[in-house]
Amino acid sequence: MARKPQFDYDLIVIGSGAGGSPAATIAATNGQKVAVVEADVFGGESPNWGEIPVKALLHAAQLYDEAKGGTRFGLRSGAIGYNFLSLKNWKDLVVKRTGAGGNRKYYEKHGIDTFASVAHFLSPHEISINRRHLSARQFLIATGSHWEKPNIAGIEHVSYYTPRDILDIPRPPKSLLVVGGGSSALEFAQLFAIFGTKVYIVEKAARILPEEDEEAGELFQRLLHEQKGVTVLTQSRLLTVQKDGLGKRVTYSRAGQERSIRVDEILVTTGRTPTVDIGLENASVAYTPEGIEVNDSLQTSAGHIYAAGDVLGNKKYLHTALMESRVAAHNLLNKQQIKPDYTATPNITFTYPGLASVGLTEDDCLKRDLDIKKSFAPLNMIARSNTSDFRDGFVKLIADKKGVLLGATIVAPHADEVVHELSLAIKYGLTAAQIASTPHAFLSWAEAIRVAASRLS
Amino acid sequence: MTEVIKRNGKRQSEEFKREKLHQSVHAACLSVRSPDGEAQQTADTISMVVRNWVDQKPSVTSSDIRRVAANALETFHPEAAYLYQTHEMVV
Repeated sequence: MARKPQFDYDLIVIGSGAGGSPAATIAATNGQKVAVVEADVFGGESPNWGEIPVKALLHAAQLYDEAKGGTRFGLRSGAIGYNFLSLKNWKDLVVKRTGAGGNRKYYEKHGIDTFASVAHFLSPHEISINRRHLSARQFLIATGSHWEKPNIAGIEHVSYYTPRDILDIPRPPKSLLVVGGGSSALEFAQLFAIFGTKVYIVEKAARILPEEDEEAGELFQRLLHEQKGVTVLTQSRLLTVQKDGLGKRVTYSRAGQERSIRVDEILVTTGRTPTVDIGLENASVAYTPEGIEVNDSLQTSAGHIYAAGDVLGNKKYLHTALMESRVAAHNLLNKQQIKPDYTATPNITFTYPGLASVGLTEDDCLKRDLDIKKSFAPLNMIARSNTSDFRDGFVKLIADKKGVLLGATIVAPHADEVVHELSLAIKYGLTAAQIASTPHAFLSWAEAIRVAASRLS
Repeated sequence: MTEVIKRNGKRQSEEFKREKLHQSVHAACLSVRSPDGEAQQTADTISMVVRNWVDQKPSVTSSDIRRVAANALETFHPEAAYLYQTHEMVV
């Protein structure tokens, strides 16, 4: 009888971030011998320099901003100030408290071997780490993505920040040019604008937040400009960057004209590329520069290798990576394969007001030629808007002709919390009438959802 | 130093040798009738690209080196890249 091949591990997970961590833990809990290999800092992007530290600073910034505006409620807030070094200490404390940031002990507690090294496939069942060769019956690739150098003439001669290192900045710059107008760009733009930086946003598309509903992009452009003095340059393309004294001179083209501005710092929020340079050819794993190719079960072209998270090149949200990691773990352990369900994955921008969307946008529906009806409820229609003196926001719902909810966009304080009602509704095919008939607490922001739903039903 | 794992079944390994790569790229360029100076320059550039890539890895396979070199050669000398990639198959 042929001998069963022996491997060092049942499963090797390459990457310890959101795409790798849950799968490694689930497999180890199920009695598998597991190893995790991390080329960078354990915990991956989110707890170390992603969502966690950014949200910690945004929380402090938004508190500061709200307090400054407290005079209209009768508060004396004229003397309020901030110390950026203390703010950074707060951010570092939050990172330390998450437990995942840089913490190998978490894995070791679960009986998982950890290796801090670049992993490189030598053959379908073998990788090299620190010149040591490890074999495994199965693999999960969760190497995530990294920032690519932007394609702007002269960028190699000037320093610039990415979201990964901008939080290490010693003090808010006097002026900051943010390249890109997506979710991350808006969070940083608002953060630094609150601390007094003159912010410019350069976006190629016709509006900021081009992947969200049109109303959201337009509203944020107005709010950022009116409330924070942010200059938003849409339909603009960066041409060159060069040193200008201690700052940088940026030339861009807009409406066929070349213009230039001088800024102290540049933040590039575009150009994340899946990290696929790990010898995938040696393991017969098919990939493109846009990411690793997987089937519905997250299985790669090599049957024993799965992939999850940013390395797939999908939408880059932490909760998506976590879901994929759990799905991959299930499929690695069971013959009955399951698929990740992306339909009700919320997209969140942690600005103030917050932006949350779920399901299809109006543009998505147009592209699919869907027959839809939509409703729009401005926030100033509900009582909470009055008691909080906050009027700029809305709830937009999109449903099919039968009233089944297809998509939703919320711009409101706490939009990140309120949206989950709509995620549930979209996931389980609820109608607008069912949402409208569900009691919503008086003086909650969610009342705007009931109003929007009742307009559809 | 990066370890290069050879493709034969015994898995002998050796240190990465820039000169060995340089010679093979140089030979590929000469085979498509490139002048010697151009072949030398191309081999220098390709060796540097591969060296930079290899330096980030603890171990690579010989086919990794061939692939990365061929990809780089594709930019600088497509004809030599074709020969370099298919050399073993042709012989």
